Amino acid sequence: MTSPPILDRRLVFVLGKGGAGKTTVASAMALGLADAGKRTLLIEVASERRTEVLFGVAPAVGGVPHEVRPGLATLSIDSEKATEEYLARQLPMRPLVELMVRSRAFHQVAQAAPGLSELVTVGKIWDLATAVKGDAPVWDRIVVDAPATGHGIALLEVAGRIRELAGSGPIREQAEKIEQVIHHPAATGVVVVAIPEDLAVSEAVEAVAALRERDLPVAAAVMNAVRASVFMDADEAPLAAVATSTGGAAARAAATAGLADLMAARHDQAEIAALAIGTNVPVVSIPEVPDLRPGSGGLERLAAALMADPAIGGGA
Amino acid sequence: MSTDLLQLLEGRRVVVVAGAGGVGKTTVSAALALGLAARGKRVAVVTIDPARRLAAALGIDALGDMPHRVDAARVEASGLAMLGTMDALQLDPRATFDRLVAREAPDEAARERILANRIYRHLSSTAAGAQEFMAVERLHELHDSGDYDVVVLDTPPARNALDFLDAPERMTRFVEGRGLRLLLGPRGGAGRMGWRALQAGGSMVMSVLERLTGAELIGEIREFLLSFDGMYQGFSDRAAAVNQLLLSDDTRFVVVTGPRPEPSAEAHALWDRLTADHYPLGALVVNRVHPVPGGADDAPDGLEELLRGAGAPDPAGLARRATAALEAARARARADRHEIDAVTIALHQPHVVTVPALESDPVEVAGIARITRALGAA
Repeated sequence: MTSPPILDRRLVFVLGKGGAGKTTVASAMALGLADAGKRTLLIEVASERRTEVLFGVAPAVGGVPHEVRPGLATLSIDSEKATEEYLARQLPMRPLVELMVRSRAFHQVAQAAPGLSELVTVGKIWDLATAVKGDAPVWDRIVVDAPATGHGIALLEVAGRIRELAGSGPIREQAEKIEQVIHHPAATGVVVVAIPEDLAVSEAVEAVAALRERDLPVAAAVMNAVRASVFMDADEAPLAAVATSTGGAAARAAATAGLADLMAARHDQAEIAALAIGTNVPVVSIPEVPDLRPGSGGLERLAAALMADPAIGGGA
Repeated sequence: MSTDLLQLLEGRRVVVVAGAGGVGKTTVSAALALGLAARGKRVAVVTIDPARRLAAALGIDALGDMPHRVDAARVEASGLAMLGTMDALQLDPRATFDRLVAREAPDEAARERILANRIYRHLSSTAAGAQEFMAVERLHELHDSGDYDVVVLDTPPARNALDFLDAPERMTRFVEGRGLRLLLGPRGGAGRMGWRALQAGGSMVMSVLERLTGAELIGEIREFLLSFDGMYQGFSDRAAAVNQLLLSDDTRFVVVTGPRPEPSAEAHALWDRLTADHYPLGALVVNRVHPVPGGADDAPDGLEELLRGAGAPDPAGLARRATAALEAARARARADRHEIDAVTIALHQPHVVTVPALESDPVEVAGIARITRALGAA
């Protein structure tokens, strides 16, 4: 793989099955980037304010992002608000915007039109990615906590779809520009998150195939919540013997617990191998961290693990 | 205290399995279908995730839009008596939508026009929301076919588990296109109060849209809406019928969660919404609960001796590590118990079914059958 590490790409989209830990991985990555000196913006798309649990500060909903750590800010995109903002910029006349926004017809269309909310969301991300202050970009890096796999891919391909549908006009031009950047592996990286479970791994493998088919730059897969074991292969036989022995119930339970620990770690290693073979992208493993609340140091541990990997932080 | 869920669902025609992503909804759906089939029902289970492993576990090469029969001999080999039948299929939104169009289109020409329209193709295959809408439509189709006693629906992994409840209405509203028709120059409706003002506003909005998107897109939307002319009624009748079915006593919603705070919070929100909208609730399934290790809270006395006897090279060290593993396993079981109690109280004592965590995901019918046994006496 010669593609640049995630650290060097301006836009990172984090995709994955629901429950796989997209928000955790996106947050840890954003924290790692900020610690590496990049001014980083973490964007939530599903507007569930999940990053609040991790940083202790709620993301801004639209408007100015909230600074949650030095060099790291969070924002939650609300597609209705973003639509209004978009129109306000496209249309020079304020009364016209008011008319549009107040029109019931417009709201019906905006709510139901397929792809519209994805389009304004991507448009908003684009605006943030291209915002400049003086000569410098406002954000060095943007990490997007994308919605669950199917909806996440819909988000990434919407610009292309709109370019196909819209024949001419500013929307087409803009969609074209967005599409180019999102497809460029030097600018954008897509990371797929999985957990060591059969269904999550097969979904990640299929997601990577779907992304490749659409020519989207898949950069890495992250295996989240990998269980490590303090037991070794040599422990298996004595533990198994004691687990089924006539010893005390607690002693047998302890041996059983040790054995389960060893099996869990082996199982997870097998899933990592399956993910690597199935996706053919670098797989980064991060440990299961029971406590991720602010101050626990859990998220910092994950950030360090991610940044130490060549595919993410370039080993920096 | 655990409920016999299969007993609870006796006589129901539709079971909707909902919950946050990653809690094992698909596997629970399959286990539920298997249990109902074992008890003698003709069951269809509709999965949403492209669950190849599940298909393999059920002995089916690949799940598709059409039902595949699960081999009874395979089920019986896992120790369950198979008195009924179980069919599995995977949702194909495009195929389902095409059938809906074929059914509702007034003639062949209208059908062809719609199927070729780019807006339709986008709508039916990629639009977020289409999957949710079609899941409910497919459920309706299978229910109406008369081929099944029970249809089990595994709901889409939406970013919000509640999305699919609103999908039929949202989609119908778009296809109906009241708003768009107003913009595009509707026929009829003239003479209504305020019509002129609306139209004036509409044409202004329209010219803005054309400026932004180009005339071609607007033309295509116009064509799309014209093609659907005469089908709106069919669509909205269909959406109303589906909603009626979901609200009826024929249906039960089963909410799946895991013994952790995040899925519990989502299950809670889902439960409240279902209650508020009068959807018939069946039970809460707490999946992957860590079992309580043996030996109560006792210390593992004699462990080191036992390990030495079993030939461990460093029995003292191994005993220490195994004791720590036991403590951790007990702590996990306690935390799970605590979470289950909390969610039970928060939801005002619903029927709760707990499913123990398996060492690995079920990759064979036998694994699914183990979950089935936790759901009720099959």
